[in-house]
Amino acid sequence: MIQLEHLSKEYNGIRAVNDLSAGIPDGEIFGLLGPNGSGKSTTILMLVGLIEPTTGRCLVNGLDVARDPITVKQQIGYMPEDVGFYPTLSAEENLTYFGRLYGMDTRTIARRCSDLLPLVGLEGVTKNIGGYSKGMRQRLGLAKALLNEPSVIILDEPTANLDPQGVADYRRIIRDVAREGKSVVVASHILEEVSKVSTSVGILSAGKLVAQGSWKDLAQDLSARSSSHVTIHVETQDAMPEFNHADLISIDYDRDRHGAVLVARSDIRDDLAGYLAQNGVRLRGLSREELSLEETFLSYYHVAG
Amino acid sequence: MAGRRLFTIAEKEFFDHARSRKFLLIFGILLVVAIVGMIGGITEYNKNLADYNRVQSASSSDGNGFMPEKPSILGVFSSVATYLVFVGGILGIAMGFDLVSKEKESKSLKILLSHPVYRDEVINGKALGGIIALGCALGVVLFIALATLLIYGIVPDGNELVLIAVFGGVSFLLIFSYFAIALFMSTAMDESGSALIYTIIIFIVLSVLIPTLANDTVIENVIGSQPELPQELLDQMQKPANSTGSSAGMGVMNGLANNKEAWNKFTGRMQAYWEKRQMIHDTLALFSPTMNYETITSSVTYRTSGSGMGGGGAIAVSSFTMSKKQDTSVEDLLGKIAGNMIALLLFPAVFFGLAYMQFMRLDVR
Repeated sequence: MIQLEHLSKEYNGIRAVNDLSAGIPDGEIFGLLGPNGSGKSTTILMLVGLIEPTTGRCLVNGLDVARDPITVKQQIGYMPEDVGFYPTLSAEENLTYFGRLYGMDTRTIARRCSDLLPLVGLEGVTKNIGGYSKGMRQRLGLAKALLNEPSVIILDEPTANLDPQGVADYRRIIRDVAREGKSVVVASHILEEVSKVSTSVGILSAGKLVAQGSWKDLAQDLSARSSSHVTIHVETQDAMPEFNHADLISIDYDRDRHGAVLVARSDIRDDLAGYLAQNGVRLRGLSREELSLEETFLSYYHVAG
Repeated sequence: MAGRRLFTIAEKEFFDHARSRKFLLIFGILLVVAIVGMIGGITEYNKNLADYNRVQSASSSDGNGFMPEKPSILGVFSSVATYLVFVGGILGIAMGFDLVSKEKESKSLKILLSHPVYRDEVINGKALGGIIALGCALGVVLFIALATLLIYGIVPDGNELVLIAVFGGVSFLLIFSYFAIALFMSTAMDESGSALIYTIIIFIVLSVLIPTLANDTVIENVIGSQPELPQELLDQMQKPANSTGSSAGMGVMNGLANNKEAWNKFTGRMQAYWEKRQMIHDTLALFSPTMNYETITSSVTYRTSGSGMGGGGAIAVSSFTMSKKQDTSVEDLLGKIAGNMIALLLFPAVFFGLAYMQFMRLDVR
């Protein structure tokens, strides 16, 4: 059980996480979605006790992470985004070292190694970690996160370097773990990844939780947004000027500013064409399309931003 | 529980060092230079001992009261100390420069700190692992040095064993000083390359620049030359022997006795000048583990009476104040080099303290 209460983190006066509150019950896979820099990793680092919140607190199984870090860390399995191991040691040696830090005895460590390494597809790999690919390290990272049989598992961008088989294995393992009644947090910027594995989701944008709920609730909301939002592609011969409109949600200019992609609550093509003509900008194309799932998520981010 | 975690980290660090190619390579070099230094020192010792025995038997047969000093076994270690200053420093740096920065680079630090360990256990464990590895390396060097002595039929007595232990202890402190400096740099820098470069710069400052600044010529250029003998005394000294038939030396002495006040004034100025030089040298020496080490080892290996903080033994700056080489008791000797030993102890303590503070505040994002 994880409880985040009014969690905030400031770095040099800049709020990376802003008043974040959420609850993740046992047996749930919670997807923490958000673009790069939205505060996902900062939230995760506070949750695993690697940084302290500026205000608010994280509770794991009722224990405050900042006040009782050692007990909390005993109950957490964590895999960071750039999972790092000791390159001169083998997978088993790395796991043995970490197992000893958890206070596990030699026999238990050996048993967990023989269970976990085949589970993540690293059975019989004896070479040192220095010779591992990124994907193999990520697989070992998952094994490490499960080593101490934690009640809470926190994974930051867990599939970033995995091949399709690795992704399938990872999803199966995570679902099995959740079925055992463990809480799982999966932070990712990849919508598809989170949507396929999580049972509930929270969307972070600029440090704020802009949406939270079960996947089903969110899917309904997304569907409503998809039908009420439009994407407009505009191409111009001249430089695209700044454009503001009450129904405009977001605008992403092309790099050379000879065009833009707009997301709006209504079809504002007429207003846009009039504005461009007023500013002497010659149009090359103006088209509308329905929002994809990805773009609908982007609209969440932009609303918050 | 906390102790177990600390020792788990220390054990891993120790075996990391023991398996590290760079550690084994430098340790190998250290062993070779120690053995070569010992053999050279033993050859010199045997030659000096033969000279001593010859002079002793000659003086006892002709009744001459002159008795040279018996060569000390500790002198054998002086050439080892010469090599150890450099190779030991390099060993300390090689062991410490990437201890933390390597973990930052490989991202293993984040995963390590996500385990149920306190940060101080991590940095203390790393230091402890390094200390044990250094201790083992130096232990092997000293063991081989002692074995070499025994092979050549030289058996140290109790006092000499104490001094050999002191030699080993200060050698450890010297290497640990540079290890602590490297550990601090490794904690402060994000990349091992930068940590190494900055540690080498500090090593050069402490082992080359400061000794250069403490050099006679440099100090003389800063505070000026020694006072010159006043003209009136010079005239007295140059006067020929008087008519009473006394020798030239007696004439000078009589002349100086007549001008006692001027002579005392001159010797006072001279004393003050050399004390000032010594003070500058000693103060600079305190800031260099290398100079402290050289002071201590030269005092120990030659068993001369040192001149206090940083100025003892063979590197005392002036013949004017340098103590005459004489056999001193082990207790006296230890008392005289205590200041240097404290300074040598302070170096690793200060830099390890800095590394500790830096590590506790380290951003692991």
